[in-house]
Amino acid sequence: MVDDNVVDDDMADESDYDPTDSILDSLYDAITAGNAEVSVESTRSGLESGMDPLTLLFNGMIPALEEVGRLFETGEIFLPEMLISARAMQASMELIRPHLADQSSARVGVFVMGTVAGDIHDIGKNLCNVMLEGAGFEVIDLGVNVPAANFVAAISEHQPDVLGISAFLTTTMPEVETTIDAITTAGVRRDTKIIIGGAPVTQEYADQIGADGYAPNAVSAVRTAKSLLGI
Amino acid sequence: MTITPRERVLMAIDHEVPDRVPILLGVSNATGIKMKPYQAIKEMLGIEAPDNYLYDWPELGTAAVDEETMLRLHSDVRGVLDLEPAQVMDRNRNRPPHDDYIDSWGSGASEIKPGQWFPMVHPLAGATTIEEMEAHAWPDMDDPTRVAHVAEQAQRLADENQYAIVATPWLLFPLERAFAMQGMDTFLMNMALYPEFAEALLWKLQNVCKQLMGRFLEALGPNVDIIKIGDDLGTQESLLMSPDMYRNVLKPIHADWIEFIKARTDAKLLFHTDGDVFPLIDEFVEMGIDILNPIQTSAGQMSDLEALRDRYGTKMVFCGAIDTQRILPNGTPAEIRAEVRRVIDILGPGGGYMVSSVHTVMDDVPAENVLAMVDAVEEYGSTSTKSW
Repeated sequence: MVDDNVVDDDMADESDYDPTDSILDSLYDAITAGNAEVSVESTRSGLESGMDPLTLLFNGMIPALEEVGRLFETGEIFLPEMLISARAMQASMELIRPHLADQSSARVGVFVMGTVAGDIHDIGKNLCNVMLEGAGFEVIDLGVNVPAANFVAAISEHQPDVLGISAFLTTTMPEVETTIDAITTAGVRRDTKIIIGGAPVTQEYADQIGADGYAPNAVSAVRTAKSLLGI
Repeated sequence: MTITPRERVLMAIDHEVPDRVPILLGVSNATGIKMKPYQAIKEMLGIEAPDNYLYDWPELGTAAVDEETMLRLHSDVRGVLDLEPAQVMDRNRNRPPHDDYIDSWGSGASEIKPGQWFPMVHPLAGATTIEEMEAHAWPDMDDPTRVAHVAEQAQRLADENQYAIVATPWLLFPLERAFAMQGMDTFLMNMALYPEFAEALLWKLQNVCKQLMGRFLEALGPNVDIIKIGDDLGTQESLLMSPDMYRNVLKPIHADWIEFIKARTDAKLLFHTDGDVFPLIDEFVEMGIDILNPIQTSAGQMSDLEALRDRYGTKMVFCGAIDTQRILPNGTPAEIRAEVRRVIDILGPGGGYMVSSVHTVMDDVPAENVLAMVDAVEEYGSTSTKSW
């Protein structure tokens, strides 16, 4: 199980955090500890008691996810803990999302994501989705084994601020370039920033094939996406 | 004095300087060559040989390299493998084209485009309890058709006494077997959410594996030099799980596995583990692992070959280290020769290093690059040893 030290007791010091609110506290703790049952329960009781969904998101869930990202980057937690935190976040988001539909202020941008044709790896991509959503992006996941044409269609349809393309194998990595070429040729790229990632992908490769950014992991995907949008 | 390839390998494993740095290639799914580059190599060399697959298992996609090509690749090893039960192989051969391949464990692969199979069928995907685990139809490891060919094949190689014998029963790896049964992300989450279940599943898998490993080792008898086992424990950037989780859950299982094997054979133990596993090498040494593979130089600290040599060079034999993420697929033959020389210069002196590609040679590696790699070893790996 996750160590107790992943729960950040210093949260109470933050000015926008209400220390008397045990719901936010338990939501934060549940997501950092990866306890989906408790995170859902806390989210539900928050909504039922009339709390603003944005308060739950910005003062409970997002700080928790940021803490999880920090612990992952510093090597204090690893994939199992990060995966269960992402799962808890996702479970709470399911409850929050319907309330956010008309809250465009909660959204920093639209992010379309997919794993290239011939590749079915999605653990890293799915972690990116949760982290991005936690950071305020509306994420549209095209799934795995996505042909270049489907990326092109999704860009036309959703006009995303950022497109994420993932490939896990050296043998499927060339498909990232094929996909970017198809997008450029179709003339739909416009202002959409393209970030690429996956085990064999490097910054050098990103530069070479005309991607706007490279992200080696889910935490850096958020950072890169925000910096490309000037956020 | 000329020494045989087998002696060359055994010397390197004993940290003695051989006449040339040995090459371990073509003998397992993690040290092999995929069918497409294999066909390209044969065509380039004008070799006529059938397109057979390791484990007689086309969906795995790795070639059973013919003897003429093995000679041209200067491979110093020959492999002995097990087979899935004859009944399972027949069932799969006779299934409708493009249907999922299902192995004797109930796990399997789906074809996502023609000829490309990925492990996507996980029979225990939803299980979180020991009851669900026990209710699974576990494979019959005593089926004699799994190992019927092993004794004769190993005996023949031992009689020829030319090549080191590397034996690799298919995926008797507890963690990766758990990934096959549950899916990788699901099992990793279960390690955090249901640690007792996850640990019980690992032990259950290991006990099933033991039944087959016991029979396999019995069939090999003394006619084996290297047993290959493993479990991928690293990612591109770091470890798959925390060092504490490894020590608490998986290490006792690996230690027990190694003890089981070492009690039944004098063969050296090659442990295959992808990614950046640098922080666990002390544990590997402690458990009695003799040879570490594949030394994924593109992953995190594993790129620091000097540190690897300085810290573990006398305690561990390294096998691999020729990069398959960038250099072999994308490099020129000259770049590949330079990389082979660089790696040999660091890991080679004093013995203790065997060349292999980091994991299997994939579809994106040109035939001339595979030949550039082995020819560089043949040339430079022989001249450099004279100064060690």
